Amino acid sequence: MNFGQSDPFVGEWLRGEGLESDLVISSRVRLARNLTDLPFGTVAGDLQRAKVADRIQDAIDKLRPGLELTTKHLEDMDLIERMVLVERHLVSRELALGSGPRVVAFDDSEGISLMGNEEDHLRIQVVKSGYRLEEAWQEMDELEKALDGELQFAFDEQYGYLTACPTNTGTGLRASVMLHLPALVITGQIEEVTRAATRMHLAVRGLFGEGTEAQGDFFQISNQRTLGVTEEKILKHISSVLPNILNYERKLRTGLLDRKRERIEDKIGRAFGILSHAKVISSQEALEHLSLVRLGVCLDLLGKLTLEQVNRMFLFTQPGHLQAKEGQELSSDERDMRRASVLGRILRENN
Amino acid sequence: MICENCQKNEAVVHLTDIVNNTKKEYRLCKECAGIHGVSIQAQIKKHKQFTLPDFYSDPDTSTGSGRGDAADQECSQCGMSYSLFRKEGKFGCSHDYQCFRSELDSLLEKIHASSQHLGRTPGRFRKQVSSRAQLTQLREELSNAISDEQYEKAAAIRDQMRNLESQR
Repeated sequence: MNFGQSDPFVGEWLRGEGLESDLVISSRVRLARNLTDLPFGTVAGDLQRAKVADRIQDAIDKLRPGLELTTKHLEDMDLIERMVLVERHLVSRELALGSGPRVVAFDDSEGISLMGNEEDHLRIQVVKSGYRLEEAWQEMDELEKALDGELQFAFDEQYGYLTACPTNTGTGLRASVMLHLPALVITGQIEEVTRAATRMHLAVRGLFGEGTEAQGDFFQISNQRTLGVTEEKILKHISSVLPNILNYERKLRTGLLDRKRERIEDKIGRAFGILSHAKVISSQEALEHLSLVRLGVCLDLLGKLTLEQVNRMFLFTQPGHLQAKEGQELSSDERDMRRASVLGRILRENN
Repeated sequence: MICENCQKNEAVVHLTDIVNNTKKEYRLCKECAGIHGVSIQAQIKKHKQFTLPDFYSDPDTSTGSGRGDAADQECSQCGMSYSLFRKEGKFGCSHDYQCFRSELDSLLEKIHASSQHLGRTPGRFRKQVSSRAQLTQLREELSNAISDEQYEKAAAIRDQMRNLESQR
């Protein structure tokens, strides 16, 4: 993660590649696991947490040479560095803001991440760009099997994998897709989709998962139930519901172009103009306009700008990334100015 | 009539709920009525996903009068009590699941509509699980053999079962 470069490396999930990548930003699978003989993160003291971190570190070391992972201890990192990890979806907010020994290990592509000492002892996640849940699960399958050989995971024949929160009990699997659904939002149909998804036991959340509001037309859809279903069924359930949502969004996009072309072009053009020329812009305002610009790229209305470039703008205008690039803490006003200059530079370079 | 909750199946259950002297009526399919029990009202009212506090605020228990057996039980490993678990919504250690087992099935049923794991198994449990599955199958074969009056076959199956049980 070198922020000094003008064009730093971007994680796998931001590539803008993979199936349905115009609508599905990324696919993610996450497993929750705990060790048999130590208390969960909810009540563990620092000594017990240190033991958890050590054992996870040992298990990670044994994954080599098949898998090279960079390990970071969050208790040794300053807030800005930890924010960068959250913005890159490598750690949860909970892990970033927690206390005591906490560890994260991730691969070069930033597609695999292992979190030690979250509320569960171990959280494993695999993220892929686009709609590639199956592929992500296959990678997870191998990874979890390798770790199962090194660590004794808490398990009960009736309840399955035992987790700190009963909403994860059983498979400990949360599978999710991050969707960009601007046409559903513009036409006011999103509520209906959210209700339908909820009825089918799928949770609809915001950009950073649990506890976050949906912002800028981005929605994370994931399974609610983790017990009483096999891992394969969980993935199949999402895969069976998702095409309906994607088709609905596509149909509405076509409808918008057919019937309200000038209106939609105007909206996108204005968003592009503001992002290109603003001198001060808040993260909320940037997110809203970036969402429209992303729609413009998908509808071929914005020249040579690519999805990957839009995804980069999302990431590099987050507070943690802005401050990491400057190498210092910035006030809210300073961040709004830096954000505008980053956006202006990328957009002018690419159009 | 279509179920008011899932909007899919035919409604066969007529649920009447009285809260603060206000009577509310719902028509639900068998599945929704069975699975969601007391939480159904919350879902219909709010049109949003279930949240943990919904599950925990069981009207029978929130009044504070007479909780179940597990109420005052404390986990010998981490000291977590059942009432604290209900309040916080998080377990303290894996042993809590043993400790609070008598109360957990219904809680897990409310969250997941099931209390039986069907997914993958750690390597160290795999042999155990497969021999258990084998035993279940043999038990069925044994009962078939007996009802067909195939006593020699039944004796052979019984020996096979004893063998498996002694290995566990």
